[in-house]
Amino acid sequence: MEQKVMSGIGGVGIYGIVSICIFFAFFTVTLWWAFRLKKDHLKHMEDLPFDGGEIDSTDKSQPTQL
Amino acid sequence: MNTNVETFKYDNRIVRAFAIATVIWGIVGMSVGLLAAVQLFFPDANLNLQFITFGRIRPLHTNAVIFAFVGNGMFMGIYYSLQRLCKARLFSDFISWFHFWGWQTIIVAAAITLPIGFTTSKEYAELEWPIKIAIAVVWVAFTVNLIGTILKRREKHMYVAIWFYLATALTVAVLHITNSMTMPAGWFKSYSMYAGVQDALVQWWYGHNAVAFFLTTPYLGLMYYFLPKAANRPIFSYRLSIIHFWALIFLYIWAGPHHLLYTALPDWAQSLGMVFSLMLIAPSWGGMLNGLLTLRGAWDKVRQDPVLKFMVVAVTAYGMATLEGPVMAIKTVNSLSHYTDWTIAHAHSGALGWNGFLTFSMLYYLFPRLYRTNLWSTKLANYHFWIGLLGMMFYVISIYVAGITEGLMWKQFTKDGFLQYPNFLETIVQVVPMFRLRAIGGTLYLLGTFMMAYNLYRTAKAGQFEPDTEAQAAPLEKTSAVVHGKLSWHRLLEGKPLLFTVLSLVAVLIGGIVEIIPMYLIKQNVPTIASVHPYTPLEVLGRDLYIREGCLGCHSQMIRPFRSETERYGEYSKAGEFVYDHPFLWGSERKGPDLAREGGKYPDAWHYNHMDDPRATSPGSIMPRYSWLLTQQLDTTSLPSRLAALRRVGVPYPAGYENGPAQKDLQAQAEKVVADLKLGSITAEPDREIIALIAYLQRLGTDIKSAPAAITSAAK
Repeated sequence: MEQKVMSGIGGVGIYGIVSICIFFAFFTVTLWWAFRLKKDHLKHMEDLPFDGGEIDSTDKSQPTQL
Repeated sequence: MNTNVETFKYDNRIVRAFAIATVIWGIVGMSVGLLAAVQLFFPDANLNLQFITFGRIRPLHTNAVIFAFVGNGMFMGIYYSLQRLCKARLFSDFISWFHFWGWQTIIVAAAITLPIGFTTSKEYAELEWPIKIAIAVVWVAFTVNLIGTILKRREKHMYVAIWFYLATALTVAVLHITNSMTMPAGWFKSYSMYAGVQDALVQWWYGHNAVAFFLTTPYLGLMYYFLPKAANRPIFSYRLSIIHFWALIFLYIWAGPHHLLYTALPDWAQSLGMVFSLMLIAPSWGGMLNGLLTLRGAWDKVRQDPVLKFMVVAVTAYGMATLEGPVMAIKTVNSLSHYTDWTIAHAHSGALGWNGFLTFSMLYYLFPRLYRTNLWSTKLANYHFWIGLLGMMFYVISIYVAGITEGLMWKQFTKDGFLQYPNFLETIVQVVPMFRLRAIGGTLYLLGTFMMAYNLYRTAKAGQFEPDTEAQAAPLEKTSAVVHGKLSWHRLLEGKPLLFTVLSLVAVLIGGIVEIIPMYLIKQNVPTIASVHPYTPLEVLGRDLYIREGCLGCHSQMIRPFRSETERYGEYSKAGEFVYDHPFLWGSERKGPDLAREGGKYPDAWHYNHMDDPRATSPGSIMPRYSWLLTQQLDTTSLPSRLAALRRVGVPYPAGYENGPAQKDLQAQAEKVVADLKLGSITAEPDREIIALIAYLQRLGTDIKSAPAAITSAAK
């Protein structure tokens, strides 16, 4: 079907089909990669913004009382 | 585990410098925008000064808000978050300050040169070549500082925000260099290396991705850092952020041709642009939902904290704009929306909502932390939020109404098959009240920004600036990408930022290569037309005046193949008509009629009177007066260098033509225009700028008119 749709585009040549194929291959690999990641690693990554290493006693990672 | 903990300092001075610059340039850029908006219903607001006339300050406004306001805001947020995410001071203090002062110098140079009329005319890339080189140098400095900091980091993993920063740095460099290929014809004049269709494709590949990689990806990185910080809870799904990043940077680069739908761009390129634009909804909404869902269980905080309020609206505006953009890229929708104010409304819902509000939220977040105090007035920040939101609504809704009204009126036929509104002016007069409402919205938004500036100033006065923040972390240990005996690609990529950078670049470049290279290799993409000839010397100078005055800000030169357009303007535009157009001047907005077939429509005297006072020939017109063109002397001294530069980029002027024959041809054509003006009882000097502009306007579209059947294919 994709071929039929793409061939309707004037002068598209091979570029359209190759483009769609590249994207789906790329997207599939990204999905596969993201879902293989371990939970403990994801937890560590999520927490990175909260571990800035500041040694000041005032906790500036908390929103200032506004 | 490494117990050798190091103590180091984060640089807050550079963050503060960029923050102050953000506020100052934000006010300047928005004020210029307001002045431009007022001129759309009160043209005399230019005080008859060429330097502040709409055509010249429109690019000043867009450059100021994009590169000065958002640019400085981006650097502020990146330099603050990068240090903390890498647990390292910025790579080099010298480079940081070189970056800061270099960027401010470029902005000042833009603020001086654009009102003077030094412009390439290419949207968001108007600055002339010496400034373009300066931009490239300063951008390289920023990239070195970014990558250098990542390389000396003490945190093993690169948080997703840093991925977005890296993609921004690299892609903007590629876009800027590719689109800036110009041939100098003097210190502040150059001609694009590309012509017509190719120039249009490269420009909108750049233009669209300037939106993508200057206004979107860095701000998404900032969202992934500042939103969790402000909400004090981690991002909803880190997994989703990974998919968001890769899908977004891969897809964005393909979507540029949606700015050129139904133009002379080959059909296949238009269709690719449309399809990839639609696919963009998925990652964009993934990112938006990731941001909003981070606030699960924290909505009570949103009610109290202005920082979060601004962020919620910013992320929502991102979602709305990234849904609307793909919808506008559907060809049938685009046939209505293109050239109308709908595009302006779309751009501003992104700029005012996404970029503006996220910048405000970062400023409200950072100032109390940099000055170790509380925000001076939460109440004032809340007022800013509501007045800013109200201003944005006034602005956007009125312009949506204007845009759709314009599109419908342009296409409306009577039951007898004639255009319902054959006079373009009727359609503009109809939407002028909307332009007034838009200016009210802009005023409110600007007022809110002033309130923020005052609030931040009082916050700074009340607190004490902390120039450096002490931090501690263990140095990075060398680790293997092999986990439990298996190679972990994720760890390998994160552990090797340079490899990661190269892969991001490859993902970004694929789309550009697939779209742009065939355009140059396949000759049938641009069928040549035998009757199309290079511009005469006088027309070249007239065309340069057209560029200087920013006429393309309101007038397109691209008739789309719709009956509503061919009835109004004449035969639709062909790719082969633009082979000598360096740069292309198709435009993207119509506040006045299309000029692609303007040549021969009116006598020379009409153009003379129209430029002197547009309302004398066209009652109700919102075009500014260009009376200075009638008195200023035409600069012909630069003609040889201009013609030589055009020859170098491929326009077939004979060798040596510029040294003598060109001046004679110019004089002869100027005398002819003067003689024609006399027929209209106008006495004019042949050496005035108006003469060249009239010569150019009378040339437009006449090649095709003279020989409509003379189309040949270069592929034959």
